[in-house]
Amino acid sequence: METALKESKCITTEEFLINMGPQHPSTHGVLYLELKLDGEVALGCTVHLGYLHRGMEKIAESRTLTQFIPFTDRLDYIASMNNNLAFVLAAEKLLGLEVNARAKYIRVVIAELNRIASHLLGIGCFAQDLGAFATPLFYCFRDREKIVDIFNELCGNRLTYNYMRIGGVQFDFTKEIEIKIKEFIKYMSNKVNDYEWLLSGNVIFLARTKNVGVLLKEVAINYGVTGPNLRASGVKWDLRKDEPYSGYENFQFDIPTGINGDSWDRYKVKLEEIKESLKIIEQAIGALPEGDPTVKAGRQHKLPVGEAYMRSENPRGELGFYIAGDGSFNPYRLKIRPPSFSNLSVIAELVKGCKIADVVCILGSLDIVMGEIDR
Amino acid sequence: MKKYFQNIAIGALSLIKGLVVTFKNIFCPKITLQYPSERQSMAERFRGLVDLRVNKCIVCSQCVRICPTACLSLSAKLTEEKKKALESFKYNMELCCFCGLCEQVCPVSAVYLNKIYEVASFNRQDLYIDLLNPEKYVKFVNPAVK
Ligand code: SF4
Ligand code: SF4
Repeated sequence: METALKESKCITTEEFLINMGPQHPSTHGVLYLELKLDGEVALGCTVHLGYLHRGMEKIAESRTLTQFIPFTDRLDYIASMNNNLAFVLAAEKLLGLEVNARAKYIRVVIAELNRIASHLLGIGCFAQDLGAFATPLFYCFRDREKIVDIFNELCGNRLTYNYMRIGGVQFDFTKEIEIKIKEFIKYMSNKVNDYEWLLSGNVIFLARTKNVGVLLKEVAINYGVTGPNLRASGVKWDLRKDEPYSGYENFQFDIPTGINGDSWDRYKVKLEEIKESLKIIEQAIGALPEGDPTVKAGRQHKLPVGEAYMRSENPRGELGFYIAGDGSFNPYRLKIRPPSFSNLSVIAELVKGCKIADVVCILGSLDIVMGEIDR
Repeated sequence: MKKYFQNIAIGALSLIKGLVVTFKNIFCPKITLQYPSERQSMAERFRGLVDLRVNKCIVCSQCVRICPTACLSLSAKLTEEKKKALESFKYNMELCCFCGLCEQVCPVSAVYLNKIYEVASFNRQDLYIDLLNPEKYVKFVNPAVK
């Protein structure tokens, strides 16, 4: 008896490290997390990046502005249209170009459609990370497919659109596409309620997400977190309202915010944003101005000596492009400010004291895309 | 104790709500296609592989210049009537990002993107394509599609 007691006193526990990724189904791309664990509780984590680095910023220095648009598709590949938009806005700011009203409205419709598609994928993958295998994800994919079909008809591709042009867009809306978009608004307004029933009311989903990964307002702001993740923490900050671009000032919509900043709020804000996006699309498509929004791709622009920075609200947060020109056709320097980079950097704070299963939940709720983090 | 049963009731209710959604979907029309025997028809503007209408080309090199990945290359010769004509037109599909810029800048719609999308190959050499060869894409067209 005594010896057993002695031995048990000799047993010590140790912290240990495990590698999550780079090939892991719930890291959404090639992300490598080094988790420090005490039993099942995470004490901290180190993020290792760079597996998807393609040198986008350097590539830009040897491309003209139009030639760089296809590369922006590959930053946040879930929301290519929004990347296109952010880049052409930055280029137009540097060149001092005006865009006609119809092009602006078309851009808004397209950007909001892509926002819905992106949030649907975010919600679906999040539910799957929590163990709701297949059903919610497949429903999300089915609805996202409708948007992808519209884009495919509009510009001929399903993921990397290369649709926006400096000074306008590539193709005008046809009558059929307008009808399809209107049908989609009706369809999606009904389907959002399905998600409310399927996920928002589900007790398992609630238990897994409520009070998990609470992101405080101050921490979020200090880390530069933006987009739905920031709004879930209760900060009402949306560039579409606070710094309107591309005619967003003409539309009525609300900015949904959360209260606690937990994984549940981050999910709920995304779902509410889908409804708001539908409102914006409805207003924009109902009031499409006349005019010719198309621009020829062959037109090359000489960059003036100077610099411009433009940011816009992507589905994941604030995407910024900084372009410096030196009088030639290629940018002298191009810097990308991706939202997911800041959103991911906060994870070290969030996982402290969480169970290892919750790490997956937190990562899913942050909704990162590695393409724009490593770029 | 009361709370315990309350929780079970709420859980059961949420389960029923979820089942209602799935039940509704049972009667929705099928949307899955049995690939490869069933296929979606491609959109009119679909961007597949780069293709060339050889006799339309006026050898202006605009497509080569706009291509962001430099995957097109051509060389020209002078014909007997002292006119420019294509000598070779190479396309490196390995680099192509299917952006469609070449199609958009071509003044005579000579270069265009076709509707072939199954481009896997066991051999890297298959991806270096001579656009002047009329049989260049035969190997990529699945017999099931024809
Ligand atoms: S589609 Fe784009 S990448 Fe491919 S050949 Fe044409 S311009 Fe080049
Ligand atoms: S742009 Fe058209 S016409 Fe000019 S070289 Fe290319 S294919 Fe020929």
